[in-house]
This record gives sequence, C-alpha cells and structure tokens, in this order.
Amino acid sequence: MIETLTFTYPASAHVARRAHVGVVASGNCELLLEPSPEPSASVTVRTSVGGYATTWEAVLARFFARHSIAVRLEIDDFGATPAVVAMRLEQALEQAR
Amino acid sequence: MTPHIGDSYAERNARERARTLLDPGTFRELLDPFARMRSPYLAAQGVVSQSDDGVVVARGTLGGVRACVAATDGRFLGGAIGEIGGAKIAASLELARRDAERGTPTRVVLAFDSGGIRLQEANLGLLAIAEICDAVAALRTHQPVVAVIAGRVGVYGGMSIVTALCNEVIVTEGARVGLNGPDVVETEAGADEFDASNRPLVWKVTGGRRRFAQGHATALVADDMPDIRAAVEDAFVRNRPFVAIERPEFPDPGLEREAFLRAYGITP
Amino acid sequence: MSEEVSRGRAWFERFAAGGARADGLPASVLAADAPLDGLPVRWIAVVPAPQARFPRARSGEMGIDEAFGVAAAVRGVPPNSAIVALVDVPGQAFGIREEAIGLQRALAASVDAYVQARRSGHPVAALIVGKAISGAFLAHGMQAGWIGALDDPGVDVHVMSEPAVARVTRMQRGDLARIASEVPATARDIASFARLGAIDALFEVADPQAPTDEEYAALARALGAALRDGSGLRPPGERLNRPAAIQPRALARRVRDELAAGWDA
Repeated sequence: MIETLTFTYPASAHVARRAHVGVVASGNCELLLEPSPEPSASVTVRTSVGGYATTWEAVLARFFARHSIAVRLEIDDFGATPAVVAMRLEQALEQAR
Repeated sequence: MTPHIGDSYAERNARERARTLLDPGTFRELLDPFARMRSPYLAAQGVVSQSDDGVVVARGTLGGVRACVAATDGRFLGGAIGEIGGAKIAASLELARRDAERGTPTRVVLAFDSGGIRLQEANLGLLAIAEICDAVAALRTHQPVVAVIAGRVGVYGGMSIVTALCNEVIVTEGARVGLNGPDVVETEAGADEFDASNRPLVWKVTGGRRRFAQGHATALVADDMPDIRAAVEDAFVRNRPFVAIERPEFPDPGLEREAFLRAYGITP
Repeated sequence: MSEEVSRGRAWFERFAAGGARADGLPASVLAADAPLDGLPVRWIAVVPAPQARFPRARSGEMGIDEAFGVAAAVRGVPPNSAIVALVDVPGQAFGIREEAIGLQRALAASVDAYVQARRSGHPVAALIVGKAISGAFLAHGMQAGWIGALDDPGVDVHVMSEPAVARVTRMQRGDLARIASEVPATARDIASFARLGAIDALFEVADPQAPTDEEYAALARALGAALRDGSGLRPPGERLNRPAAIQPRALARRVRDELAAGWDA
C-alpha cells in the first residue's frame, strides 16, 4: 500500500516563493514546496514503494543540511531513485528562490 | 522548470501545453497543485495520487478572446480520467456554456492525452465521461469545441468518444486516436487480430495522418507550438458547425483480416 | 446460468409486444414503437447476432453496426415519442476492423443521437436489465434522464469486463473484492452503482428473464411516470444534485464550485 513518512529538520533560510516540480510517473516523483513560518523544514513523503525510510532520510538530510530552508515539502513518489529525488529537490529549490 | 525541446507540444507536460496554447502571459491555473485536490480513492489501491489529479485547467485568452484550456497529463496513470479530473473537464465546459448564454463566450480547448477511464475509479470515471459528453454537445450549440490530440498517449476509451463529439479535432502525425488501444485489442482478441508491437501498423490504423485522411480530424499539423496555436485560432475563427457523424464507407467486414485492411488502404 | 434469449431481447419483446418494428437496422439492433400506458415509446435494445458480418461483434457487443444502428434508431424516433434504452451490453467490440473504421466515432454517433433527442424534448429513459459496460453503456443508456435497473446479480456496471480487469491489474479476486468494498466506484454490482447516486429506481424480479405480471406492472408504472414527469429530460450533470448523490458526488460538486469561484477572479 502507500507508505507515508515524515521528517523534520531545523531550518532558518527563507525562500521567496512556492514551487511545484515533477510528476507521479514510474521512477519519478512530484514535489510541492511552500515557505514555512516555522523554523524548520517539515517533509511528508507518500510513496508506493515501501521499505526505504532510511534512504529517504539520507537523501533529505543531505539536502537540508546544504540548504537549510524553512519550508513545508510534500513528495508524492512512484519509485524515484535517490538521484532523481535529489534532482527534483534542486529543481524545486531553483523555482522557489 | 521542466526542460522542453524547442517548440514541441509532445515534449511539454500538460501545464506547459496549456500555458503555451494560451496567449503569452495570460495563463492562470484553477485548482492548481497547491489546492491539493487529490483523488481519495487511490491510496487504498497502492497508487500515489497526484496533486492536480492529472488534469490542468487554466483560464487565459486565445487570440485575445476569453479562453480555457483543459489539458490531461498523459504521464500520470496514462492520463486516465477519475472523478476529480473528470469534474475539472466537465466544469470547464459547463462554465463556458454559461458564459456563452450570458453573451461573454469563453473558448474551450481540450488538450487530451488520455487512455480513457481510470480503472481505479471505474464507475465514477464513467459518470464523469457521460457528463463531459453532454457538456460538449451543449457547448457546441454556441461555439466550436476544439480538441488537440498531439501528445504521446493519444486518446482512447471514453476520451476518444468525447473527442469525436468535438467540432474541431487537431492532430499531429504522432497522435493516435482509437477506442481500444492495440494492446487491449491484442489482449482481448489475440496478437493475430492486432499485434500491438507492430508500431508502424498501429499508426497506419490509428495515427493522425490516417485519421485526418478519414475525416476524423479537421486539421493535421506539425508537432510545433506555433502551428498548433494557429490551427486552434483557425478552428475558432472558421466557426464550423458540428456535422452529425454518419456511417462511413468501408470494405466488407467479412473479408479476411489482411484483405480487409488492404481494401481499406492499409498495408499490414 | 446460460440464457437462450438475451435479457435485452426478452425485455424488448415484453415491452414492445405488438409494436411496429423499425426497419433498416442490423439484426443486432432491435427497435420498435409501442405505447406504454398510452404514451408513445420507441424501445431500443442491442442483442447478440451470431450471423453478424463483423466477426468480433456477434455476442451482443456494441460494434460498428450496432453503434450506427442505435444512432439511426434514435434519430428516427417519431415526433413526440419517448425513447427507452433497454441495456444489456457486455461492452464494445475489440477488433482491428473496428479500430480501422473508428468505433469511437460510431459510439459517439449513438451518444450524440441520444443527447440531441433528449435536448429536443424526447424523454429518454434507460433500464439496465443485464450488463452495462464501458463505451457501450456510454453510447446506449448513460445519456438518459432517468436510469432504472433490475436488482439482480446478473446486472453488471463497469468500465471493463471482469476477466479483463483481473488480467490488467494482475490482482487476485480477494484483492479486487477488498478494493470494491473500500471503493464502491470499482464494484460491479448494481447496488454499488446505485450508491453513487446514479440509479433512479431498482426493481426486484424473481426471474430476470421472465417478470411476473405484478413485477412487470410495477416497472411499467415507474417507467411511465418517469417519462411523463420530466425526469427523462434531465441532463447527466443534474444527477450530481439529486438527494442520493449528495454524499457520493460531493467531490465532483466541490470541483465545480471551486472552478466557478475562480473562473473570473
């Protein structure tokens, strides 16, 4: 079924606008990113490929360590690889700046 | 921003197709991804929902005239229509019809890339398609309803029926229009009936060039945004009424398969 | 249970008994004008035709001849007559000839014929007596203003045949049953379809092939009332606002409300 994962990271940098990238297609994912008033990045991942919580943690922690942005992020995932997820995160950041 | 190649329509996603079909700078999406109007039926079936349910509706102008584009996302579940996406399309047509009755017409372009009804929502999709069919026929009494079939999926199933109800159907060579996809025909009737892996045959039977030659499409254009925009504008300006669909001429269906196709001008 | 006479034919022969048959139609399309309680009605059914010229359309499917035949039957409706679609269609025809000719256009012709008839004042009702699948049901029945159905296990509403669903989803029956119970839109039984607010009346009949006089009379009464009281003229979109649809179609209505609110913002 669908696995829902949540992650939170402390964050303080602001982004100018919200961003939407990607698509829920096989091997891909959709990202919805919005500025948050909280001093944190809070992430919700919905994925149809379960059992990869540690991999998600690793990819997201790495990204938010580099870009400590206060955002709410939703990821709808259909089996994207870490590389694809990382690319989508960078695209979203680019759009949000 | 999703990178797209030059002026190709097929390479663009639904949102970019809608944006580029509308006059520059006029694109305004309704119920955009941040509205989070997701299908509530998919999670129980192990499918992740998409925030726009695979349909983009945008207001704007076309040739300076009020317009709306409803574009399906062929990459999400093959562009198959569920309750929310179907309602987006039906509502666009119904609101445009209301505008026409009020004397402020809104042009509607249906940019379809869709395999038909979403299996995971079955009868709700079926109900939506019935509503869309009626809405197209109702809007058609006021103005042309223009379909653009120029993406990678084409139109099948209930969405091909909706397309056939439009006054104007703009296709590219790469487009496909049919009721049952070749893989479905092959599954139901065997590879002898329709070998879905025979791609040249698929396009000879259901491709845009063939459909235009048959009179199923009213314009055949290159996969090029300026050409498609021009064809869309042309379609509205021409303002041709809908011609009731009549039975076409075709060879004796009792002919053996290959003979039938050859007699119909298709070399299998 | 094997049935020698299809349900569509059985009910057509009951309702249209003694009526004048419309000619010029293929053997798989039955159409006749016979009054219902004094009201002129054209009855239309699609039935199996083993001798049909299209090899892939002999078991009651809507193929090229059936779809254009129904369109012709509807377009030929006498002035001031209602139309009743007797629905028992296992789906659309699957064949390369059908795709080459353009079955989607033929089905659209039938859809359009029903829409034009209804919009020009002919009350249109549909009675589902058997299967109502996908494009065939879209083309024959779904444009009716009033839809009734037999409350019977042989009544099946879906977008794909059961074997095909199993093949495509590669799911076991148990999984499909679980999903059907959680997502009524994916269930095939008529009660689930009625729970979507899509059915106006359900009729219990002990033998769906052979209604008793009482069962037939109750059905005929309800049908006659629907054809007289304006129900037959309602467009599909209006279905959303009916009492039975308030909860199950709430999302479809909400989308419409949101689009309307933002349309000219």
